[in-house]
Amino acid sequence: MSAPATSPDAADALRVEGLVAGFGEITILHDVSLAVPAGKVTVLLGANGAGKTTLLRAITGLVTPRSGRVALFGEEIAGREPHLIARAGIGHVPSGRELFPRMPVSAHLDLGGRLCPPGERAALRERVLALFPAIAERLHQAAGTLSGGEQQMVAIARALMTNPRLLLLDEPSAGLAPKVVLSVFEALGKLQHQGMSVLLAEQSMTFGLSVASRAYIIREGRIVLSGTPAELMAERSVVQAYLGA
Amino acid sequence: MIVLQLVVNGVLLGGTYILLAQGLNLVFGVMGIVNLAHGSIITFVGVFTYWFVTQTNLSPLLLMPIVFVLALGLGGALQRLLLEPLAKLGNRRELLSLMVTFGLSYVIVETAINCFGSQYVSLPNLQATWTVAGLAINEALVVAGVLGAVISGCLHVWLHYTASGKALLATSQNSTGAVTCGIDVRRMRGISFAIGSALAAIAGVLLILILPLSAPTADTLTILAFVIVALGGLGDYKGAVLAGLLLGLVQSGVGYYLGGDVEVVVPYLLLIAFMVLRPQGLGQAAR
Amino acid sequence: MNLDARQVGQWIERRLAAPAAAASVSGPRPLTIGILAALIACAGGAPLVSSAYILQLATDLLTFAALAYSWNVISGCTGYLSFGQVSFFGIGAYATSILVMHTAVPWYVDAVIGAVIGGVSAALLGTIMLRLRGIMFALGMLGLARILMVVASNWNFIGGAAGLTLPAQLTPIAVYVAMWVAALVAFGLNYFLLRSQWGLSVIGVRDEEVAAAAVGVPTSWVKTVAFILSALAPAAVGGLVAWNRSFLDPPSAFDPTLDLQVIVFALFGGIGTVWGPALGTLILVIVGEQFWAYLPELQLALYGVLVIAVVLAFPGGIVGVANRFGWLRRRPVAAPAVFPRVSRPSQPAPPGDDTVIEVRDLTVRFGGLVALNGVSLAVRRGEMVSIIGANGAGKTTLFNAVTGFVKPSEGGVYFQGKLVSDIPSHRRAHQGIARTFQIPRLMESLTVWENTLLAARHGKRRHAAVEQAAWALHMVKLDSLWLEPPGRLSPGQQRRLEMARALALDPTVILLDEVMAGMTRDEQDEIRAVLRHFRDLGVAAVAGVEHIISAIADISDRMIVLDRGRKIAEGKPEAVLRDPAVIESYLGKVS
Repeated sequence: MSAPATSPDAADALRVEGLVAGFGEITILHDVSLAVPAGKVTVLLGANGAGKTTLLRAITGLVTPRSGRVALFGEEIAGREPHLIARAGIGHVPSGRELFPRMPVSAHLDLGGRLCPPGERAALRERVLALFPAIAERLHQAAGTLSGGEQQMVAIARALMTNPRLLLLDEPSAGLAPKVVLSVFEALGKLQHQGMSVLLAEQSMTFGLSVASRAYIIREGRIVLSGTPAELMAERSVVQAYLGA
Repeated sequence: MIVLQLVVNGVLLGGTYILLAQGLNLVFGVMGIVNLAHGSIITFVGVFTYWFVTQTNLSPLLLMPIVFVLALGLGGALQRLLLEPLAKLGNRRELLSLMVTFGLSYVIVETAINCFGSQYVSLPNLQATWTVAGLAINEALVVAGVLGAVISGCLHVWLHYTASGKALLATSQNSTGAVTCGIDVRRMRGISFAIGSALAAIAGVLLILILPLSAPTADTLTILAFVIVALGGLGDYKGAVLAGLLLGLVQSGVGYYLGGDVEVVVPYLLLIAFMVLRPQGLGQAAR
Repeated sequence: MNLDARQVGQWIERRLAAPAAAASVSGPRPLTIGILAALIACAGGAPLVSSAYILQLATDLLTFAALAYSWNVISGCTGYLSFGQVSFFGIGAYATSILVMHTAVPWYVDAVIGAVIGGVSAALLGTIMLRLRGIMFALGMLGLARILMVVASNWNFIGGAAGLTLPAQLTPIAVYVAMWVAALVAFGLNYFLLRSQWGLSVIGVRDEEVAAAAVGVPTSWVKTVAFILSALAPAAVGGLVAWNRSFLDPPSAFDPTLDLQVIVFALFGGIGTVWGPALGTLILVIVGEQFWAYLPELQLALYGVLVIAVVLAFPGGIVGVANRFGWLRRRPVAAPAVFPRVSRPSQPAPPGDDTVIEVRDLTVRFGGLVALNGVSLAVRRGEMVSIIGANGAGKTTLFNAVTGFVKPSEGGVYFQGKLVSDIPSHRRAHQGIARTFQIPRLMESLTVWENTLLAARHGKRRHAAVEQAAWALHMVKLDSLWLEPPGRLSPGQQRRLEMARALALDPTVILLDEVMAGMTRDEQDEIRAVLRHFRDLGVAAVAGVEHIISAIADISDRMIVLDRGRKIAEGKPEAVLRDPAVIESYLGKVS
């Protein structure tokens, strides 16, 4: 099991180095570094309050980092406005999904599609709907009336429609029944096969590790462990650190 | 027959109210603030239209595109200068914005008084009453009602069928989600206030043809608009249409059966009743 | 309901937006008395000045000071911004005018009766208006003033639209003296709310209405009292102004520009402060006198600009600016010169029922979402129970139901054997149920000391509140920080303050909502030390919702696991943590 370090691979979809972020006088992230290899799923595990959401928001610009660097395929993005980071190619599926409750599913896809070049939009939409057949049947239904699982799928679909180079998912399994979570993660698996770079923040270790090729464990705003799923599963201390963090 | 007359009056009156309120509604929907200067914009443009028409004898409708554009620009600038600095203040933002627009309303009203005086003025262009199928129909109300419907229709089309409108609607329903779609939420706030001001300006040009306006009583219009917005569910513009119609109908009926004095109080009573009993209003949006 | 960044962000924003309670113990006490004495002397001596102009100016100053202070009571101290206080001005004006015209009662008695009528109206209107919050209240009051104006215009008994002509009764000196009394009363009420222990309840309601209820503040009652107090002086002043002009009609009685001026003066001086309204009135009226001679038409427009400028540039007003230089800072209420020595022998909880808290078949639904589904559990005397569970399990909803912030859809909550489901939160706090909040809800404009004192005043030891507050702070080792504002504390320290607040109630049971989150190891150990000895602190039982299981597993007597609204396990911690169902709930099904 390696100490937290960034991989020197030049084809990293995302490289975070020394990120410090917080609100007002409080610091939540202390010198966080991680790397998301291109075309792979990387999972960020941690308990409530460990800093997963803050880290994802610092990457996407919803929280302004105090210091440190964030590079998207080599392009420095730390400190940019969040909507510009979205345009740079990060698709963010926030915790709580943040859908538009009175707008139909199709509108969500259209709004995400604004960031996709017009010529490719129709093809992308077909691919996205193929990934989530359940919502393909509900295109005209208002998002607020969908079930939890369907809402999660709409949130992911919306982010995918922005034609991202990197997808960030914040606890997609939160509040969902296990069967529903399974279908969400099936879709993620397919995405991985298609070569999408993904950073996934999760509380549920089993689901998180089932699709990841690399995992980081965050605790109290610091990366404490990293490794491959096999390495982490083999260590009981991981479970303890995780449950007790 | 009386009932039918009352209903017709009520519906047309409702149209007038809708005309009054849509600008305020848009701003509230997207920015979550109540623009207390709304009525002052309407009144300023209204008395300016009166002055313009009496000075130049040109049609007031010529002014509509001009004031629309001017209000767009001014509204956007005011939002940037006065309200955007408050955007990052969390939940104190609402009350502080209220204060700022409160101050702004007085600036606008006093400017209007200094330029155009403080008496009631109105333009007599639309005072005819037609008789259709035995019902007396007031020309001014028809114009206002129809225009109210047209403007609401345009808003609906814009918000639901155009890219920019959908972006605005999305921002009003969830600004975080909007950001993930690459929408510049700050620009959306500026646009919504600009359009809200522009709608108020148009309402001003039209209202001076229908009822007398005076600069010192501008806040009456703000309150009426707010009543519609609150009844309709604060930002839900379909609800605002319903609320406008409801208010128009209730007022028409009350005016007939209980007299003009009670009629005037109806909006305020309805407002307080709704705020206490059903704060989420008539629309489906529960804020 | 996890501690997600958005909630933390909002919490931080609230902190940043609140004015800093820059407190100093050795505050300007002698200076305050000096200023007050000087003002009283000046004010009392003014009638001796022969200039009618100065007398009129002084009368105007006092009139506006009375109105500004009264506005400050409801909008600044209580946080219920009102755009329609002129309603009470008008009510008072009409009430006293009718009395003057139709009775032989002397005018000063009429003024007092007018004030009383104003207060009674506030009490009645408050039952409706105070149910509203924020912008709704502000605009509701605006609408109220309008309604009253229309009502007055149509009520012929009081003159209708034409108004009333009043017999000239008052000499300028009489008016001056009366306004002086009104201003003094208004100032006194303001001072009382900001400097007394009772006033802490008002500020608590302003800063954190929910947490105030949790520490026993009867929030509805407090708001009503504040509303009534804010109506007294305007009502009296309204009558006096009407007589002075010998004329009263609806537009002058309910003149909205009066609201504007009062708001500008209080805001400019410093909203929510002791001296703000006086400073604002003094400066702006005197400056205005010089100014309006040259630019009479621009007066209201410039006031509008001033409101905008103050809100954008210096929301704390003149007093806020002065604070930055160390002047006019707020002194903490009832703070002794040094932190009191605390020596209290350990004592067990008073005897009582064996089952301290019990919920039976508790179900809570929010619309279509079932947060708790038929949960039954009990917390017994002498034990510490930990309630754990994954996200969305319903832990905080459980606490909210027990403490009265959420109504059960089915089932009941019992405290010491008695059903408490219908008892409001603040009464449950009085009876001995204390809680902390997942995201600390501390009164940002009060010091650590005052936050704790507020709770102590509503707890079971309210007769010895100062000692109780000192003891509570001592227990969580916050003595040295007792005069800091909560905004300057670390997250761990803030949680300890929440615990101190709970202890200050001298509670029977303490409910801790994720108290360990955000604390360093050392801070966690300190809390654990306190929790280990809760039985010696007079507390019968403790229940804690937790995510950081390692921090509470060894000090818990029993552990209960919730999963999606149901209880799935219960027993000794070691056994529960090994239960496969529990592990599956946390880690997800191993497929």
